[in-house]
Amino acid sequence: MNLESIDFKLFIETDNNPFILFESSGHIIYLNNAAEMLLCYVGTKELYDLTLTYAPKTFGHKSTIHSLEYESFSFYSLMVGYETDEQIYLRLYNKPLVQTKISISNESLIATDINTILEANITLFQLESNAAISLFVDQELPAFKLDQNYFSIMLRKAFNSFINSPTLDVVLKLIVGEYILIDDKKHQMIELILKAPKRRVDHDDEISQLANQTHIASSLKPEIIKFQIPLIL
Amino acid sequence: MKLFYSTSTKVQYITKGLELSKSLFVSSLIIGEAHIGKKSLIKSIFPEIPWVDGSDIIKLKQTLNKHDELIISNFELYGDYSIGDFKGKRIIAISDSTSFPSHIDSLFAFIYTMPSLKERPEDVEYLADIFTKEARSIFMTKDISPLDLAKIDLADNTKSLKKAIFEHQAYNTITPNKIERILYNYFEKELGGNNDYAKYLPIFEHPLIMAGLDKFGSQLKLSSILGINRNTLRKKVYELGIN
Repeated sequence: MNLESIDFKLFIETDNNPFILFESSGHIIYLNNAAEMLLCYVGTKELYDLTLTYAPKTFGHKSTIHSLEYESFSFYSLMVGYETDEQIYLRLYNKPLVQTKISISNESLIATDINTILEANITLFQLESNAAISLFVDQELPAFKLDQNYFSIMLRKAFNSFINSPTLDVVLKLIVGEYILIDDKKHQMIELILKAPKRRVDHDDEISQLANQTHIASSLKPEIIKFQIPLIL
Repeated sequence: MKLFYSTSTKVQYITKGLELSKSLFVSSLIIGEAHIGKKSLIKSIFPEIPWVDGSDIIKLKQTLNKHDELIISNFELYGDYSIGDFKGKRIIAISDSTSFPSHIDSLFAFIYTMPSLKERPEDVEYLADIFTKEARSIFMTKDISPLDLAKIDLADNTKSLKKAIFEHQAYNTITPNKIERILYNYFEKELGGNNDYAKYLPIFEHPLIMAGLDKFGSQLKLSSILGINRNTLRKKVYELGIN
């Protein structure tokens, strides 16, 4: 196979793990989508300092197991590398939210277009909220099995926690490079992120409980909610 | 005529949400005051799904056993809310009440609150036009001036609006013969006291003086129109409690 014809940049672009390429002055030359989200919460300088701290002593690449927390982002490891004096990269590895091995009952699972459920929930949300909604969703996601009623109740409550927020960012994407094992079968995951300057947190326990019932990993922070949904085909 | 129509942004959101939910197997609850179009809306979106009245518990339980999809009207009257009953079913519930036990929240994927007609002035005009056409057809009238919609009390939503428009059409098509017939029926039923002339005279005088004052603006002018002394008119206005 001719590897030169493959556009590897696309894989980095959509990777759920943040990747940033700095020039020697600390300016960013390139960053992927996940890094763009991260930079809403962490300054460029802080990440550049981190890069220099964990950089290998000479040209090459170095991985370090190190726990890092930035708002809703949790990382368990980072990699820094450089092959010239001009450029250095930082790659952060997400802590997995999902349990590695679970069992699931197929009884109540129905093949679902997640974009339809999401749109129906956004419509309901717009009835009570004036928040300016920014949507970044993957319309090409395949239909997959989930418990529509529970999932939708969970989404309604999650959206409702942003009811008084002036803005709401909604991101729905396929997670690249991470899988979940359900009944010994490997499944990809879809990530749904709801983010706003503020939100109500009084129903967070209920949202987490509903997420658990539907085998969805959830992370609820004061400004952001993340769900990682198994893509059961 | 469409089964349901609304130009209200909120109602359009509800319609869109329900339309989207058609392709999903989820339960929805739609709540709001009586006579605001909840049933018409649901009928227009889910014409094939069977209906059952929430007040008829026995029939409701039987229908729940038979069907996977069901519309429950008067849901507030169905007191025995149990998660087990709805499991694996698509329930569309309609309720005039907004107060439910807290666990109801976990039965329904979507809970829509439909605004009352007072909150949808854009819809009042559209519905008034439909009701006026209907009333004109029934009363066989054409040239009656439209009712001032701003003056209608919409306490009972479409019911109040329809009633006000039909009454307006009826009142404006009435002839002296019909008024006499109405009064005849009324007096035949009511007369039987010992001072009934004085008791029932205001029925004639009150609307006569009120309409005259509204039309001519002053007691001086009205007394001349009615051909009575203005002191007599002033006395009548006082006795009838007209401001």
